Amino acid sequence: MGIITVLWEKWVEFRRDFFKITVAAMISPLMYLIVFGMGIQTTSHGEPYLHFLIPGIVAMATMTGSFSAIAQSMSVQRLYEKALDQVMVSPTPLWQFILGQVIGGSLRGMYAGGVILLLTLPIRSGLTFNAVSLLVMFLNGTVFATAALVLSFLAKSYADAPRFNSYIIMPMSFLCNTFFSTDQMPGGLRQFVALLPLSQASAMIRAIANGEKAGAAGFAVLGAYLLILGLLAVWFIYRKKNL
Amino acid sequence: MIELHGLTKRFGSFTAVDGLSLRIETGEFFGLLGPNGAGKTTTISMLSTVLLPSSGEIRIDGKLLDRKAAAEKRKLSVITQEYSMRQDMTMDEVMEYQGRLYFIPRKTIRERSEALLEFAGLREYRARTVRHLSGGMKRKLMICRALLIEPEILLLDEPTAGMDALSRRQMWNLLRRVNGREMTILLTTHYMEEAQALCDRVALVNQGRLQKLDSPAALIAELGAFAVDENGVTGVNTRFFHDRADAIAYLGEAGSQASLRATTLEDVFVDCAGRKLSP
Repeated sequence: MGIITVLWEKWVEFRRDFFKITVAAMISPLMYLIVFGMGIQTTSHGEPYLHFLIPGIVAMATMTGSFSAIAQSMSVQRLYEKALDQVMVSPTPLWQFILGQVIGGSLRGMYAGGVILLLTLPIRSGLTFNAVSLLVMFLNGTVFATAALVLSFLAKSYADAPRFNSYIIMPMSFLCNTFFSTDQMPGGLRQFVALLPLSQASAMIRAIANGEKAGAAGFAVLGAYLLILGLLAVWFIYRKKNL
Repeated sequence: MIELHGLTKRFGSFTAVDGLSLRIETGEFFGLLGPNGAGKTTTISMLSTVLLPSSGEIRIDGKLLDRKAAAEKRKLSVITQEYSMRQDMTMDEVMEYQGRLYFIPRKTIRERSEALLEFAGLREYRARTVRHLSGGMKRKLMICRALLIEPEILLLDEPTAGMDALSRRQMWNLLRRVNGREMTILLTTHYMEEAQALCDRVALVNQGRLQKLDSPAALIAELGAFAVDENGVTGVNTRFFHDRADAIAYLGEAGSQASLRATTLEDVFVDCAGRKLSP
């Protein structure tokens, strides 16, 4: 029941800012597609580079959509509007509030990824996107929405939200299997980057796009991130002394 | 009934609330008074579970209040000092969100919202976002939101701060009316006349500690019901008398620079806080 309340709140937010959210979801990925995929004509493993790029961009859009939907909103609600106080004092179970935020954030990420899929439809790349791709996008979104929740509970000022973006989201966007394969990275760094959630999500969406199976290991890694971050978020909301 | 047992809140080495113990009876209008930084808002924040106590506990009708205590939280509604609302929601959305958080059926939310917004004179602005409301309208909306859930306990943190005199009086009348419905009200304020006009009992706190606890009338009687203000070179000095005849006799000796008046709760507060009025 509390989950529905949070989803309703997210829907109100989405309905009001529909155009802003849609445009924001499109701009960066579209630029990357135009510049790297179409402007600089190249190939990867004998295939047009665009075929490599599109799944990575979809995973990246899912990540940024989910993360920004929660990080910005929760930081503002907690530190500036103090609207989180309204939730804290209410009888809505706080774990339901967390779960609602995670699902709502992930749906926003899926929306961002879906917009990219729609935009790339005319390219007729022949890539496959199916229900498993959607599942990976959803899981990827839950991981980053949960990460955003944890970070927004740690934020000390409103200005911290954009910093999290610069420290976490931006480096992942460029390093994690979006624009080039992590296989080309030097040892050590390669293993580290490959274990990051976006690398896993990109690899799985790309595998499905190429008609292969998404590895179970990828689901396990994303699931592990979700579990750890979810427990942290629940711990913060129940146990943090000064929210 | 609200019980605070040795409630303490520390922020690093600073102790905002220091072993506060109180018992507020059901249906009581209780005032928590103190100078800025006395720990009033911190106490309200602990009652709303936004802050967790460093030690001590809060009980609502005998049950421990913490972040998991849904049944106890259902009884509580808070009006915070700041406008703690989503700024990008309309009034209707603010009310619906509140109702949903308390699991109130949507039909009931609509009916109660209608009545409350009408009562507060906000109905015609219901489609406006909070961001575009005046300070007074936001304050009224917060009251409507708090009353939507028909709470048993209402926590008010400086509810009339920044209001003009007329709006403040309207608010007092509203609070008297809701208190008449057996609602327990805990009010923090630094407007002493507000506490004197509204509260059955008041607690004076300073530096997080309880200084005095009684009805406004009893606290005034303890200090002396008659006050003589003397204008001197260092400012206004006030002397208090239990007996009117003694006050008049002193007034005669003091001369034209002195005046007699009734002691107020503000005098008790100033006396307790150890401050002197200055010009």
